[in-house]
Amino acid sequence: MIKLASIVKSYRIGKEQVDVLRGIDLQIKKGEFTAIMGPSGSGKSTLMNIIGCLDRPTSGEYFLNGERVSEYDEVALARVRNRSLGFVFQQFQLLPRLNAWKNVELPLIYAGVPRKEREERAMEALHRVGLSDRANHLPNELSGGQKQRVAIARAIVNQPKIILADEPTGALDSKTSAQIMELFAMLNQDGTTVVLVTHEQEIADYAERTVFVRDGKLIGEEEEANREVSES
Amino acid sequence: MNVIENIKMALSSLRAHKMRSILTMLGIIIGVGSVIAVVAIGQGGEAMLKSQIVGEGNTIELFYMPSEEELQANPNAWLVNPFTSEDIQALEKIPEVSSVVALSSEFANARYREDVIDASITGINQAYLDVNGLDVEQGRSFLPADLLAGQRVAVVSHSFQEELFDGKSPLGQIIYIFSQPVEVVGVLEEPTGIFSFGANEVYLPWKTWRTIFGKSEYSQVMLQAENADDLQVAGEKAADLLNRMHDTDEAYQVMNMEEIAAGIGQITTIMTIIIGSIAGVSLLVGGIGVMNIMLVSVTERTREIGIRMSVGATRGQILFQFLVESVTLTLIGGLIGMLLGGGAASLVSYFAGWPPLISLPVIIGGVLFSMIIGVVFGILPANKASRLDPIESLRYE
Repeated sequence: MIKLASIVKSYRIGKEQVDVLRGIDLQIKKGEFTAIMGPSGSGKSTLMNIIGCLDRPTSGEYFLNGERVSEYDEVALARVRNRSLGFVFQQFQLLPRLNAWKNVELPLIYAGVPRKEREERAMEALHRVGLSDRANHLPNELSGGQKQRVAIARAIVNQPKIILADEPTGALDSKTSAQIMELFAMLNQDGTTVVLVTHEQEIADYAERTVFVRDGKLIGEEEEANREVSES
Repeated sequence: MNVIENIKMALSSLRAHKMRSILTMLGIIIGVGSVIAVVAIGQGGEAMLKSQIVGEGNTIELFYMPSEEELQANPNAWLVNPFTSEDIQALEKIPEVSSVVALSSEFANARYREDVIDASITGINQAYLDVNGLDVEQGRSFLPADLLAGQRVAVVSHSFQEELFDGKSPLGQIIYIFSQPVEVVGVLEEPTGIFSFGANEVYLPWKTWRTIFGKSEYSQVMLQAENADDLQVAGEKAADLLNRMHDTDEAYQVMNMEEIAAGIGQITTIMTIIIGSIAGVSLLVGGIGVMNIMLVSVTERTREIGIRMSVGATRGQILFQFLVESVTLTLIGGLIGMLLGGGAASLVSYFAGWPPLISLPVIIGGVLFSMIIGVVFGILPANKASRLDPIESLRYE
């Protein structure tokens, strides 16, 4: 489903060239729940942005569903972000002036879905994350956990195959974090591929597979065969 | 992502910053309003000037201007009224002419009891009544019988009544003109409009005037044509005829209305352009205000732009969103400006007494122009928004 081949990303800061990613090879299969772990500055967020089509690799190839998206133009990438991917961010990234369901319907507006259907699907997504009763609340009337649920509803509303979560529990307490992670596990069980970036082992434990990034390289991975055990 | 969705989004974001939106719009309101007002007032003034020159009832005036030789041969030519009764009868036979308005005017004393004032005494014919009419506010106008029989009746102007009668009703009173008695039967309405002023005037049937002043020539002749397009032709034929009858070369002439009207049109158009472009400067300043606010708005909403891009908005859609916002801003400002400008123009034309001319082209032009301003001054901020890097924007605090 996701295939990265020798992905390199470097920036030029002044005269100095900074290599953030130095040749990443990674495959993620359909329906997998993968965690990308690494210390800060390891390049895991940059890797996530490239997977999320928000950024382009300096070199290397990226295949998504067999399509070579590393060659896509800006409009095609926007379409991929809209149809195939759903983002969840640490800082929730909700539009403060829109209420919950209007935030959730945003991807559907850009997908050109008619108004009535948008409302139905947004409400349905909110129902899946257990927030039907907060549909008309503004983000600042919601708790951190509720905001993140709205963000997850927004990520799943256009029924993407892949959800990308960048430190989704970074701004939440541990109890709420657990609830949010249960939600990701549930979405994964329904067949959605989930890619999670974190630096906390506890959070990574929810994933079936963890890959480790350090200094822009993959330094190893482990399959969490005992996921069921760690959950209980 | 359709336009309506974008307009709704634009309206809600303008509503979120009410004060700022209103202040920004104010620049456009003042700019569009003053341009519209200037153009409408200019066009109204032009229409009024033209109608005053061409005359009510679409008439054309004949005038007499003897040449040097004719004046030397007959030095008194100036003093004599130039149009005889035979002239009038001959003019009436020209096929294009439907009526010949003829009148004579003379300044003379008018006396009521012990009070005497100067007034312009005008004798008019039936055609004058038919074409121009007398707008009477008290009493009555002349009857055909008054004119036919040369009755000693008079219609006086509003200010004549005020001066000589102290505003009391003059109807049925006898006034003396050149020591000859006439009975006042009507008072004219007060004239309106900035170019009208109250004059002391007395109107008499032509035959009465002739008896009082002992003159049998007319001082002024105007023609009315069956068909307004024939006016100029009729006028030229009439001038030729009179020159032949009086054996003069080019002493009888007709005004070329088209040339005069075109000249007036040119002058008022130039005036409108000059004042309009001064007003246009304020529109320019308003546009720069819009650009300024949109730039601030883009910076403030950097994160929003990042979020929209992350959920699938293309750069084109972001550009369009901000462009719609600035056009909405200028369009609303433009519409309010047109209302206010139109109101100001109507007010001016009401007091000046000319028709308010807010034409459809002016309205359509105003709407289009405000939209163009929105696009022109919105394109820079919108372009800036669309070029933001989504990752940087999402990190923006």
